[in-house]
Amino acid sequence: MPLKNTNVVSAYQTKFGRLDGITLREIFAEAVDGATNNAGIPKKDIQAVFVGTFIPEMLVHQGHTAPLLVDYAGLRGVPATRHEAACASGATALRSAVMAIESGIYDTVLVASAEKMTSVTTNKATEALAAAADDEFESSMGLTFPGVFGIAAVAHMAKYGTTEEDMARAAVKAHKNASTNPLAQFQKEITLEKAMTPRYIAWPLKLFDCSPISDGGAALVLTSNEKAKQYTDLPVKIIGTGQASASMNLCDRNDLTAFEASIAASREAYKMAKLGPKDMDVAVVHDCFTIAEIIASEDIGLFKPGEGAKALRDGVTALDGDMPVNPMGGLKAVGHPVGATGVKQAVVIYRELIGDAGANQVANHDTGIMHNFGGTGATAVVTIFRRSDV
Amino acid sequence: MSEKPTIEVYKKNIEDENFQAYKCVSCGRIIAPPSGTCYGCGGTKMEWAKVSGKGNLVAFTVIHIAPDEFQEETPYYVAIVELEEGTRVSARLLGVDPEKPEKVKLDIPLKLDYEKGKSGHTYLAFRPA
Ligand SMILES: [Zn+2]
Repeated sequence: MPLKNTNVVSAYQTKFGRLDGITLREIFAEAVDGATNNAGIPKKDIQAVFVGTFIPEMLVHQGHTAPLLVDYAGLRGVPATRHEAACASGATALRSAVMAIESGIYDTVLVASAEKMTSVTTNKATEALAAAADDEFESSMGLTFPGVFGIAAVAHMAKYGTTEEDMARAAVKAHKNASTNPLAQFQKEITLEKAMTPRYIAWPLKLFDCSPISDGGAALVLTSNEKAKQYTDLPVKIIGTGQASASMNLCDRNDLTAFEASIAASREAYKMAKLGPKDMDVAVVHDCFTIAEIIASEDIGLFKPGEGAKALRDGVTALDGDMPVNPMGGLKAVGHPVGATGVKQAVVIYRELIGDAGANQVANHDTGIMHNFGGTGATAVVTIFRRSDV
Repeated sequence: MSEKPTIEVYKKNIEDENFQAYKCVSCGRIIAPPSGTCYGCGGTKMEWAKVSGKGNLVAFTVIHIAPDEFQEETPYYVAIVELEEGTRVSARLLGVDPEKPEKVKLDIPLKLDYEKGKSGHTYLAFRPA
């Protein structure tokens, strides 16, 4: 059965990028204010907070972040719990919030997220990111995150004929879409030639195949049907949610050309929403690397296995294509403050569906799908949204 | 050989260039890297198993940018290798030029080896047979 009672009524994303001089709690508080007070939703209406953040212990030397962050953001006393699933932290926080509303325990909750990554050196940030892979058996032999996706790229290239140029096209599209998104870390278009610059990070992935290290935050307010119209005339419903896990180790998976948790999570979400890939008007997928966007577009059923690169080549996934993917620029060009990404993706879907995406508005915007995955793809969450007047 | 396998010993065996996999006592499935539960039958009793050291190349990457601990070793291959016994492991790939990965063919036969890293660790490794 499609979910019936969960409405997104406000959404806010901070600027992503290197936010010098601004700490984790300040980023978080900006996101909270943006989704509450500044959106006409009093903080006193918030009954619980679901916090997404990945690894502040290593990045800013701070654990037990949920009460600390909500206190700073003016929500002292409100129950707050942190959700951690590496890059899928944001979507797991969102999913728990959805379940809390559907259960009837709460009417109005906040999903809020932030990550501060640039306060440490790039090497230290890389080390923190590596904690999202299996330290005993993969990280300890020098397999890095770009390496994990390099392996997926090699497998996809061998099985389907995907090329380095195809992956570069994903980067070109991301930068093009981000060029009109003022919240993006990179707002400059790049040429295909530049995207192909052979600065290898983990062959066949090059510098422009990788998302950057970023600071940033995002927040959403979810509420029940009963309360939704108090806050907005045009709520967006969450009608389906799915989550699945896979092995942490890449070597424990049979198929390296797809991410099985993404496939399973999307099936569950479609089944719940009673919709299929053809019903989607817009998709936001987890493009931590260019190959990840290509594979995700196949895993969630937008294209057949092996046809994601062709869709990209043919412009199908462009902003003005038949199936726009990452219309505001994705992780690749907007940035990837890890724990905030899943909430930011929901902000993008919300803005697209209510027609508030400005230069990045997609033509058809009734229904959207969001795919957020963590680490090596060991956690995947897929969420389906539909405008309430559809 | 009769003791209950542990991750610590699994890793020490690699350091000692004496790689051994886990074997499910119930169904005989070979498992590496270690799992607490058999992927085949759900059994939780494991014993050690020697492997033939033969495998084939499933996929690979070449790491150019690595954490400090490994940076001196770059560029280096990390591969997914399917052992003759059916399990897959992540390992270093030796005997191929890291500057010419486009020349490396998938599905080629490999044999077990080890690599002494500059980091001081010994890695599980394979090279073309
Ligand atoms: Zn068994």
